Amino acid sequence: MMNPKTVKFIIIINLLACIFLVFWYPHLMISPGALLEEHQELTTDCFSCHTPFKGSSSEKCMACHSVDDIGLITTKGVKIQQETNVSFHQHLKEPDCVACHTDHQGMKVYRSIQHFSHDLLALPVQNNCDSCHQKPTDPLHQKLTGNCDQCHSETQWQPAIFEHDKYFRFDRHHEAECAKCHLKNDYSQYSCYECHEHSPSKIRSEHREEGIFDYDNCTECHRSGDEDEAERIWKSKRREGRNNNRSEKNEYQRHHDDDDDHDRRRYRHHDDDDDDD
Amino acid sequence: MKNSLFQTEVVPFFLTFTVLIIVTLISDFLLHQFQLVWIGRYLGIPGTILILLSFLYSLRKRKTIQMGSPKFWLNLHGFLTWFGVLMILVHAGIHFYAILPWLAVIAMLINVISGLTGKFLLNRAQRFLASKKADLSQQGLSAKGIEKEIFWDAVTFDVMKKWRTVHFPITLVFSVLSLVHIISIFLFWEWK
Repeated sequence: MMNPKTVKFIIIINLLACIFLVFWYPHLMISPGALLEEHQELTTDCFSCHTPFKGSSSEKCMACHSVDDIGLITTKGVKIQQETNVSFHQHLKEPDCVACHTDHQGMKVYRSIQHFSHDLLALPVQNNCDSCHQKPTDPLHQKLTGNCDQCHSETQWQPAIFEHDKYFRFDRHHEAECAKCHLKNDYSQYSCYECHEHSPSKIRSEHREEGIFDYDNCTECHRSGDEDEAERIWKSKRREGRNNNRSEKNEYQRHHDDDDDHDRRRYRHHDDDDDDD
Repeated sequence: MKNSLFQTEVVPFFLTFTVLIIVTLISDFLLHQFQLVWIGRYLGIPGTILILLSFLYSLRKRKTIQMGSPKFWLNLHGFLTWFGVLMILVHAGIHFYAILPWLAVIAMLINVISGLTGKFLLNRAQRFLASKKADLSQQGLSAKGIEKEIFWDAVTFDVMKKWRTVHFPITLVFSVLSLVHIISIFLFWEWK
């Protein structure tokens, strides 16, 4: 059995060796993963990026990487020929490299390009998504300009929230594919006639029976498969229409009466003048 | 090996240790599943605090503090260490980047195993061996026969008795390696 003092001595020697190894091989002993391939020459020089007890500052990054040159000129002064999508760096509110970038493999879970925050960008650039992102080529997106945040979040494109209920609520009779109503994936238009239930002749006769002649825009009244709801909406629209007509008529009448009064006063005034004469 | 010391004491002990590992794996899996990995990054702090608090038992044993019974402090020592170790294991995750923190984790696990041996097994093993000896003696076995019968149990018991010789030096190793790890974190952390 080894003397406890000898055991302690051996342990202390080993621990000291470990500590020395930290200084000699920091990239193996304490570094949270390998550096980016382009920074391999800095592997054993931790303090080229880190300031002791302060961390790695953007100033240290910018000593080599000028923010104005990102995506345009390499750190070696060579012009970048191919187009890149990193030009937003020139529109940052303030350079905060470590908010998104890390060199160590093991830190990518906590800080990665995926964690990029749009708040880092100047406000006009934040609202101009397609200055960095390419607009999808489908007919719906091609017709839209800006306001991406109506449907998309800043963290991911999918799932996108499109409130179809605002226009039409799906029910068990309407579990259709998008292309069934939006022909050729053109979401700016729709057609209800593509279903066997809604043939043009049937719709025409059903509406004319009720005295409805303007029925081209189905979803104006039919917000779902509920026909009672559609009837209620139609009646309320008709009522609104009547009220509008009535108020327009009243307005016209009032103007007309005002004009008559005015003329009457004018004529009276003229009559008075005539009397004076 | 029927009704042996290994089966009745060592196997349940290892099962207890396995629970620690399984709970760690489940916690790590859930953190990844719910994209809460960052929590694991900070679990090192409460884990270290719990382990440091568990040293109060050593202070009680050395009569630096007089309050409470040693049994209470021993139970608290085991409880705090178990949760502290769980947090540190989740904190370490299953990522192999730097050697030093892993040496610290290995030292910590050896520490836990030796500690559990001392706490749970030794007294029970001693009682088990004594009762088995008494049983065999009652059956009329000679001293040599008893010795032959309990040979493997005695060997297991002797191995378990060595827990102290492991537990204290390895605590030193664990402490120093953890300290170097913590200093290196303080040195390179993004303090803003």
